[in-house]
Amino acid sequence: MKKSRILLALLIVISVIAAGCTNNNTAKPSASKTPAETKAVQETPVATNAGTGSKEAPVLATLVGESKLPPLAERLPSASDIMVEDVVDELGQYGGDWTMSWTGPGDKWAVGMPTEEALFRFNKEGTAIEPNVAKSYEVNADSTVFTIHLREGMKWSDGMPFTADDVLFYWEHMLTKETFGKKIYDAYYSVDPVTGEKALAEVKKVNDYTFTVTHKYPSVQFLERVAIDNKWFFAPAHFQKTILPEFVGEAKTAEIAKDWGFEDPKAFLVDTGYYFWLHQKIPTLRAWVATTDPNSDQFIMERNPYYWKTDSEGHQLPYMDRIVVTKIQDPSQGLLGTLAGDYNLKSFEAKDFTVLKENEAKGNYRVLLWTQPSWTSAGVQLNQTTEDLKLRQLFQDIRFREALSVGVDRNEVTEIVTNGLAEPIQASVPEGVFGYQEGWAQQWAQFDPDRANKLLDEIGLTKRDKDGFRTFPDGSDLTLTDIESSTNADTFLELLKKYYEDLGLKFNVKVVESGAFNDMKYANQVPMNTEAISVTNVAFRPDALVPLRVITPWFGQYGLYSETGGKEGVKPEGDVAQILDLWNQLKASSSKEDISRLANEIYKIHMKNQWQIGYAGPTPVPVAVSNNMRNVPEKLVMADETRGIGQAHPAQFYLKQ
Amino acid sequence: MLRYTFKRILLAIPVVFFISFIVFYIIQLPPGDYVSTYAAQMAASGDNMTAAEMDQMREYLGLNGSVIEQYAVWIKKIALHGDFGFSFNYNKPVTEVIKQYMGLTLVVSLVTMVFHYVVAIPIGIYTAVKQYTAGDYIFSGISFIGMATPNFLLAIILMFLSYKWFGDPLLGLFSSEYVNAAWSMDKVMDMLKHMIIPVIVIGVAGTADLIRVMRGQMLDEMNKPNVVTARAKGLSTMKILFKYPTRAALNPIVSTFGWSLSSIFTGSTITAIVLNLPIQGPVMYNALLGQDMYLAGTWLLFMALLTVLGTLISDILLAWLDPKIRTEFRGS
Amino acid sequence: MSTLPLFRRPKTAAIKPEASLDANYSSQWRLIYLRFKKHKLARISMVILGALYAIALFAQFLAPYGLESYDSKYVNAPPMMLRFVDADGKFHIRPFVYELKSGRDPETMRKIFETNTEKRYSLQFFAKGEEYKFLGLFQTTTRLFGVEQPGRLFILGTDAMGRDLFSRIVLGSQISLSIPLVGVGISFVIGLIIGSISGYFGGWLDSLIQRIIEIIRSFPTLPLWMALSAAIPPRIPIVTLYFYIVLIFALIGWTDLARVVRGKFISLKNEDYVVAAKIAGVGDAKIIMKHLLPGFISYLVVATTLAIPGMILAETAMSFLGLGIRSPATSWGVLLQEAQQIENIALYPWKLFPLGIVILTVLTYNFLGDGLRDAADPYKK
Repeated sequence: MKKSRILLALLIVISVIAAGCTNNNTAKPSASKTPAETKAVQETPVATNAGTGSKEAPVLATLVGESKLPPLAERLPSASDIMVEDVVDELGQYGGDWTMSWTGPGDKWAVGMPTEEALFRFNKEGTAIEPNVAKSYEVNADSTVFTIHLREGMKWSDGMPFTADDVLFYWEHMLTKETFGKKIYDAYYSVDPVTGEKALAEVKKVNDYTFTVTHKYPSVQFLERVAIDNKWFFAPAHFQKTILPEFVGEAKTAEIAKDWGFEDPKAFLVDTGYYFWLHQKIPTLRAWVATTDPNSDQFIMERNPYYWKTDSEGHQLPYMDRIVVTKIQDPSQGLLGTLAGDYNLKSFEAKDFTVLKENEAKGNYRVLLWTQPSWTSAGVQLNQTTEDLKLRQLFQDIRFREALSVGVDRNEVTEIVTNGLAEPIQASVPEGVFGYQEGWAQQWAQFDPDRANKLLDEIGLTKRDKDGFRTFPDGSDLTLTDIESSTNADTFLELLKKYYEDLGLKFNVKVVESGAFNDMKYANQVPMNTEAISVTNVAFRPDALVPLRVITPWFGQYGLYSETGGKEGVKPEGDVAQILDLWNQLKASSSKEDISRLANEIYKIHMKNQWQIGYAGPTPVPVAVSNNMRNVPEKLVMADETRGIGQAHPAQFYLKQ
Repeated sequence: MLRYTFKRILLAIPVVFFISFIVFYIIQLPPGDYVSTYAAQMAASGDNMTAAEMDQMREYLGLNGSVIEQYAVWIKKIALHGDFGFSFNYNKPVTEVIKQYMGLTLVVSLVTMVFHYVVAIPIGIYTAVKQYTAGDYIFSGISFIGMATPNFLLAIILMFLSYKWFGDPLLGLFSSEYVNAAWSMDKVMDMLKHMIIPVIVIGVAGTADLIRVMRGQMLDEMNKPNVVTARAKGLSTMKILFKYPTRAALNPIVSTFGWSLSSIFTGSTITAIVLNLPIQGPVMYNALLGQDMYLAGTWLLFMALLTVLGTLISDILLAWLDPKIRTEFRGS
Repeated sequence: MSTLPLFRRPKTAAIKPEASLDANYSSQWRLIYLRFKKHKLARISMVILGALYAIALFAQFLAPYGLESYDSKYVNAPPMMLRFVDADGKFHIRPFVYELKSGRDPETMRKIFETNTEKRYSLQFFAKGEEYKFLGLFQTTTRLFGVEQPGRLFILGTDAMGRDLFSRIVLGSQISLSIPLVGVGISFVIGLIIGSISGYFGGWLDSLIQRIIEIIRSFPTLPLWMALSAAIPPRIPIVTLYFYIVLIFALIGWTDLARVVRGKFISLKNEDYVVAAKIAGVGDAKIIMKHLLPGFISYLVVATTLAIPGMILAETAMSFLGLGIRSPATSWGVLLQEAQQIENIALYPWKLFPLGIVILTVLTYNFLGDGLRDAADPYKK
């Protein structure tokens, strides 16, 4: 008890210093906030195995006893550099398995996200970053030099020290050499405010536990962007040196790849460089490490004896011994398994809510409703650059979008499609998420078929074909085609078809295999799609709202134009061009206030244009958690940027016995 | 007879080759390829690939060439090195993937098949002997309903009932704690428990057909002169039953046995998907969906081989059983 | 021991003396008819099947609601009772339903339905409903039955979009009952022609055809389906879509029949009467048509009948894989697709009603086939 208080005091001092060192015109986040919260938690200590005096899991204590493992103190970082993780409810007990399901190794992120350890992670609210693998950081006044401190004495899961060399190695020999099939992330480029020219950052080692990232131009959002683009800005150098062709030669790498079962060295390097957490032989910094072949019917990850986080009492995390992932072939098996109590934490779709809720007692679990920053749960995006020029012109006409919006009864959609779990509102930023605009949810949300018809007539779609469908003014066929890669939205689309065709607009839905859909997206053959925009903050991740590359259906080929520097694609004009302009200003701006203001401008343009039309608000995400699983937060925003369940800090989950 | 068999085997070789090409072609017929499926899967979890990354991947996986080129490379490797290629999904040689699932597939298939014959043949005989009695109606009724219910739905309903009544839907082939455990008595018992639903679902459906064939044949055979004569001679019922009609009635069942050869190695795909059985069927289904073409191609090639072999076996059996056909073969 | 039940004459086979006398002078078809008449189960099955096909033919008239009668107020409503006696114990000659009120359980969000005994809606015959084309001939709004507006009648409950399940089953029968028939028909013709050629001529032609059959049998159907569903344009008329589906079924299905036909030909073509015909200089086509086919055509009809239920089940399996017909167009496979979801089995078990109809149809086809086989068997007494 005493020891941990000293430790805590030390931590406070350090973090205050760290905070003091940082850029003084911005309120630096959690490094200084963490201890305060920890204190609050500490006031409600719960009887745990802390009483026995052991600070580590019994399994590990046994190994230490047999001298198969160094003692705890040698495994943890030096006392002042241990990361203390807040617990959600109470201090936990060691032991137990976290059981979950996945569809196999292709479902890499199902275990990747919950176990992820990023250099910097997002805080609970998802509004700012906080140090994680990094201990602290400082930024100079114009946001060009970032000095990042690592934790002294921290170790990889095989016991080798983790130092700045691992960061430098990753930067020099992997990321900039593009060994694992990814281009250098956009976060590492800063933008000249005048010319818009991009410059790559420089990474330098200061000492074993400090390195700097230097940008040519100010990059205020660098850490947030890294926290999304490149969560793990490091790799186990001692391991990678034994497989990278640069060190062992092409022939040897090919041989090792064969040995691991890979046909091709490139595929091998992608898997070992990027999806490393699936491989038993690769050391990681995660709370649990792989111990079986991911291709087997059950994938098992076991606790990392060198994990570098403890609870406030100094108990090494994680509390739970293993993650046991069962391979399933159909989502219904995940549901049935949960009903039977086979899985102890699993998120579901809104449609499963009723059946989950009704079987709560029988399956001995509780259903939590987490939220997501999604704009809608039933909406369509209209590709502004769709191939057919007449259709493109129509999609770009704001009156057409309004007609499609007011021509559908949102009450009907929410009742049928979302089981009454969503509001009958327009696609818009949900309240509480960055970019929320007053009145957006109600924009064009009233069901008014007369107005819709009037608008369509106004646009000039007055001619009808023999089946009564509207045609283009020149009499040629007008068909709206929605392309889908799954049948998930079937019910919604069926309903939509009825409403659209009541307006005289011929509407087709085509479901293609997901791979084919991806190809069609690149080939600009997706005029409409039901993908929903979901983003915590455009400034952190622009993909959905700013056309920078081919990814989100509404901007189609505008993205290709940006991606190829104007060589291919469609040149953005009007409001879309303005969004890109705002984005460039945002990237080059030197203060957080400016960034917030510019980001908000981008949202306003989206509100005005409503490229995504929504017929129901976002639904919550039902999460079934077994009753003995504790420290799972009641409320959480599930977003990809903040790593889904990972945001709940699974290392402190525990099973109450 | 020998010459005929030999000729048939010789003919089978080009057929198998031809099939392998068609199969390879058809696998790639749906739009997209493995890389686009892979990219879509990654995109679904927020990990987007750029067009350039996809092209690069295509190049190193050798998916750039035409179908014919790819086929030539593949078949050459098989012929020269016995190398069936590589599964993209599993990051493993194709043969290893097939090996991984073969054991349990055979276990599931053989258990269902034994159930099949052990249940169907006696019931077939019984319902024939006791024609139009309550027993006949009950057994026929159950087997017919089993046959008339779509397998996948029967599986889902049984799974749900198992959950409703016993709290355990019996998903998969093992309980969670036994999946990676070494074989033991407990593990076998656990597996047998999990085999109940698959055996009922896969077994009952096929049983109905078999019972009907058996029953029909028995009814025919029982009125034949040899049986009537035997009866006149005063032989006991049981003896007559097994000496003449049963033996004769088994003939068509034996001769169609060859046809079921390929299904033994796949198991029932849709039922296996529904029940989460770790056997070949679902693995191949996913390989086809994801255009993991060497895996799918090798498997289908293997299936083609079995189909050809199955036809061969049933032809030879047929020739051997039916003198009329036998003469025909000699004549040609 | 001596009175063996085993050798008791089957009751159905006991043909009265007059009948057998008659039989001596009857044609083959008449004989089959006479024997078939004795098979009770088959006869009942035929009546049921006849009724089912009649329902399919007049589906729009019989179904109280159309395919697109979505209504969010009645999502997942359980089956309703048609009542004769009201809440006060009063008897009504005309059956009625009570008004259905819906709400949601705030805890589980399940849709809850309550009957309002204040309001009664009587059953009406020849009620006015949505407009449809009667047998494709003329527009009408008259449907066989319905309840007074604005009351609703859901005999078998509703689906997830608030549509009447009974209507959907009735309308779905059009596709589910006809696809297999057409499919089997096509494969029958192809199988018969190719099988006869193969069996009759033998030699290299036979070898070639047999190899082609082997190749077709090893076709991986799944990617074929996937390629096809990608190639089919999204808005083709349902009839065309259904033609494609049938065609694929048939193109694979004929091989079985062809093998059976071939086998029969091989064993029949050396019979004395065929050889005699040949020597007498009768042409090949005539021998096939006049002498060989009649010998086992009845057997083929049976085989075909028994192939139909397989096709009905195949259509449901296709829907399971998400291929084939898509809602709002409906078939029994589409309906079972909704039924197969765990949450529907758990919460809304009435969605399994279509399964009952599928089982009924498959069973009756099987019994009919059995009856036909018994009747067609020339050795049977």
